[in-house]
Amino acid sequence: MTDEREITLTVNGTEHTIEVEPRRLLVHAIREDLDMTGTHIGCDTGNCGACTVLKDGEPIKSCLMFAAQADGAEILTVEGMEDLPEADDIHPLQEGFREEHGLQCGYCTPGMLMAGKALLDEHPDPDEETIRDAISGNLCRCTGYQNIVRSIEYAAEELENRAAADGGAVAADGATDGGPAASPEGGHAAPEFGGDADTFCGREDCCGGPDGADPFDRDALLDDAGDADDTADADAGTDANDRGDTK
Amino acid sequence: MSSEPDTPDAETEYQHDDDGGPDPEKHCGHGRGGMGEEVTRKEDKRFITGRGNYVDDIKKPGMLHCEIVRSPHAHARIEEIDGSRAEAMDGVVAVLTAEDLLEHDLATMPTLMDDTQDVLVNEKVKFQSQEVAAVIATDRYAAKDGAQKVEVDYDVLDPVVDAEEALEEDAPLVRDELEDQEDNHIFDWDTGDKEATETVFDEAAVTVEEDMLYQRLHPAPIETCGAVADWDPGMDKMTVHMTSQAPHAHRTLFSQVSGIPEHKVRIVSPDVGGGFGNKVPIYPGYVVAAAASYVLEEPVKWIEERSENIQTTGFARDYDMTGELAATEDGVIEGVKVDVLANHGAYNAAAQPSKFPAGFFNIFTGSYDIEAAYGSLTAAFTNTAPGGVAYRCSFRVTEAVYLIERMVKVLADELEMDPAEIRRRNFIPSDAFPYESATGWNYDSGDYEKALDKALEMADYDHYREEQQRRIEEDADKLIGIGISSFTEVVGAGPGKQCDIAGIEMFDSADLRVNPTGNAVLRVGVQTQGQGHETTFAQIVAEELGMDVDSITVEHGDTDTEPYGLGTYGSRSTPVAGAAAAVAARKVRDKAKSIAANELEAAEEDIEWERESGEFHVAGAPDRSITITEIAAGAYMNHPGDEEPGLEAVNYYDPPEMTYPFGSYIVIVEIDRETGEVDFEKFVAVDDCGNRINPMIIEGQIHGGLAQGIGTAMLEKVTYDDNGNVTGGDFMNYLLPTANEIPNFDTGHTVTPSPHHPIGAKGVGESPTVGSPPAIVNAVVDAMSHAGVTHVEMPMTPDVVWETLDEVGLAHQPAHNVEFDLGDDAEPADD
Repeated sequence: MTDEREITLTVNGTEHTIEVEPRRLLVHAIREDLDMTGTHIGCDTGNCGACTVLKDGEPIKSCLMFAAQADGAEILTVEGMEDLPEADDIHPLQEGFREEHGLQCGYCTPGMLMAGKALLDEHPDPDEETIRDAISGNLCRCTGYQNIVRSIEYAAEELENRAAADGGAVAADGATDGGPAASPEGGHAAPEFGGDADTFCGREDCCGGPDGADPFDRDALLDDAGDADDTADADAGTDANDRGDTK
Repeated sequence: MSSEPDTPDAETEYQHDDDGGPDPEKHCGHGRGGMGEEVTRKEDKRFITGRGNYVDDIKKPGMLHCEIVRSPHAHARIEEIDGSRAEAMDGVVAVLTAEDLLEHDLATMPTLMDDTQDVLVNEKVKFQSQEVAAVIATDRYAAKDGAQKVEVDYDVLDPVVDAEEALEEDAPLVRDELEDQEDNHIFDWDTGDKEATETVFDEAAVTVEEDMLYQRLHPAPIETCGAVADWDPGMDKMTVHMTSQAPHAHRTLFSQVSGIPEHKVRIVSPDVGGGFGNKVPIYPGYVVAAAASYVLEEPVKWIEERSENIQTTGFARDYDMTGELAATEDGVIEGVKVDVLANHGAYNAAAQPSKFPAGFFNIFTGSYDIEAAYGSLTAAFTNTAPGGVAYRCSFRVTEAVYLIERMVKVLADELEMDPAEIRRRNFIPSDAFPYESATGWNYDSGDYEKALDKALEMADYDHYREEQQRRIEEDADKLIGIGISSFTEVVGAGPGKQCDIAGIEMFDSADLRVNPTGNAVLRVGVQTQGQGHETTFAQIVAEELGMDVDSITVEHGDTDTEPYGLGTYGSRSTPVAGAAAAVAARKVRDKAKSIAANELEAAEEDIEWERESGEFHVAGAPDRSITITEIAAGAYMNHPGDEEPGLEAVNYYDPPEMTYPFGSYIVIVEIDRETGEVDFEKFVAVDDCGNRINPMIIEGQIHGGLAQGIGTAMLEKVTYDDNGNVTGGDFMNYLLPTANEIPNFDTGHTVTPSPHHPIGAKGVGESPTVGSPPAIVNAVVDAMSHAGVTHVEMPMTPDVVWETLDEVGLAHQPAHNVEFDLGDDAEPADD
């Protein structure tokens, strides 16, 4: 209908140059031009948040932005989470959603993960109210949110444990907000699920698998987090956020 | 079905701890992911990594896009449709109208209640946003551009949106195309013994009456409805990927509508982003996409926008009810009466078993042993979207439970009795099961007092009653209200002889194949939309065969490969397909015994299966044992000569009865007398769904349903203005609760197994949506009942609550004058 223009989007670290009409929504560019269908559409009015992605580190609703407005931006979608420096096999947030049963139909989940990622980048140790606020732009019709809150708490604790296992190296580098030793929230509220035998039974250390192996062995995760590579990667991740801040 | 192997010993076999919860000792002893274990979900990985496959994610070569042109008017005759300007546009391939569909005999489609709905409006628009024409184009933007250029001339008529007004003599006639339809009356229905009930009421010491509206809701799953239809002229086959909760039933209906033989229709329901009843009916969009693909011989995608979803697809409820109770002075309920006016919209399109025009509404005697009951209902056509579907509800149980649980509170207040005590006095006693209600339902099992006692304890009931009194006495700014709901659900339709969808009996099915290498595939006729079937059904098989849950894959949603089933709604998956899975697994286990005998060189009757180890062994010689994995190899590589090779079983399960899950919810609210705002102080939910397969998944379902109950009670309503305009038709106006409106829930459970279900389980997904709204309304009423308030209509937004406070003199004026400093910022911006 109208003239197309060339734009460049760096999605999950890969640069793409595409031709779009000026009116083309970013969510359609991501889903249909770049074939990354993990980002969903649920309402067309910016209420549901299923289309949430990070643009230069900030959570945005990609159905409320033209693709052309994102020209030159760095976009993170759910498909990129596994490759983030803080991810092992999968990202701690993804792990949290699985462990704490933070999803049912899965449709809102990518948007929730993005909202959770944006929150934890800013507040590594959020309290429940902060988490609820951070995801209040994302509708979920299945879970009643309680387990989504727990999922994000799980990830926060996981990331904090890893940082602690780094011996404060990350904090000293200023790679996270204050780091685990000096949380901006002032101390660490005990995560609700921590030490609760009911919650753990059958999920992690109890019925983890046929041979008793626990796919989410905390000690193993802590060991992995101690790798020097991870620390370096964490720095890289923060750089991306810094770029977002200065834009 | 009773001839199936291993009839249930549900009472004892699956109980874990005293409450039936996951006993760590026991289930960790099994450790294979069987019954009662909190196995993390097998389906999660694809969803958390963005690899889910929903209908809108499907892309096919040459795929076209469909946009539907909708009527801006609620009631209008179509004079002319001119699609020529649209057809001339770049990218537009075709414009379809009713005329085009008539050529292929696709202009109308049957509703689930045997009414006939226009696919595209033939003569007269009957509700706002009804489907008028369809534009097919090369991409979604071109399709939208085209839709804007389709010119439709309307002769606008007066609409009627209110059911009561619709039944007035001079009301506009919604369905003038129907012969013999001279008014907007659809049907009358009644249940129970009218005369006996009248007698009870005439002689009763106390009677109470209350009017209440169960407002029009929409299930509003976050994924809207959609389809990708693909006609293959080489194979003469129609494949439709669609958002379907019932793919097999939809295939049968598609075949009937289109004339394409059923074996040449394939329905695939891929990942579904929530259903809640919304994806049970057939909608015009699906048919249009299929018709367009057939005509154009290209794949056609149709995806609904949110406003289209809320404004046109199956709504729920819209029951205007009057309830009455008759009781003794000490609170023994002797009779219940209810009269309903039901708004069915422009077509009778309710989604429920065809012999039940009011669904299972006649369960309105609830959890109580009531001598006499009578219910009557009148349904009306209006110029509103057709429905109603069972939104996370077993066919109008929600309305029934709301009615009885609200009325019990009204009676308690009239008698100045404690609402917990009055329930206790009227519960069906736990030793009275199986119990037949005054309206003819056969309750399978229950222990209502146990659930209530547990909830009262969890809620710290006595403390809050004292606190409530203290606040009243001190004229505090915030009032406390305590609401109780002790509901009983009826879920798991069939039996097939009683329940059918469009004539098809409501059985369900499972097909279990154990592979030579010892893993298995279970195919089921139901369709998950987030319920976790891929995990829970695998757990049933793991339990019954001693296999590890990780070695079982569950498949669903493809009519080409899955056994025929009626789909997932009405909490029927576990009661029906779950039963089928257990029976199929037991059939496999029986056959496995003969293979085990062959392998172990023993007589088949000497082979025993042990649940704990999951192994088969020779009686009296436990060391001569064999696992299902080894047996599977034997079945394919060394099968006994007198047996068929392979290790596979199919079961089509027709339930002998429905299951009756129940529970007690206690809601404690704090009401701000200045603003009318309602805060949830405590939300306790004790559920009983019989034996529990995966407590983590059950609890997740309870959370979600309670949140929907809060949406119902506090926020949600599809509204219309007098002209038939939908005024609550998108997420700006139809308010789903966010994380900020939903509190944390305290969940608990009791376990009363279903005596007739092979694994003693009952359905559960809908209990919280059904049970929680009356508890919430009872809580808000309870905060004001000392001042004479007997009812507050849903949704109880702050203004509604504040007005009620004000009416009875409970509203507080703000302690200080609030002055809004409008200042310069309040000036209209020039830019």
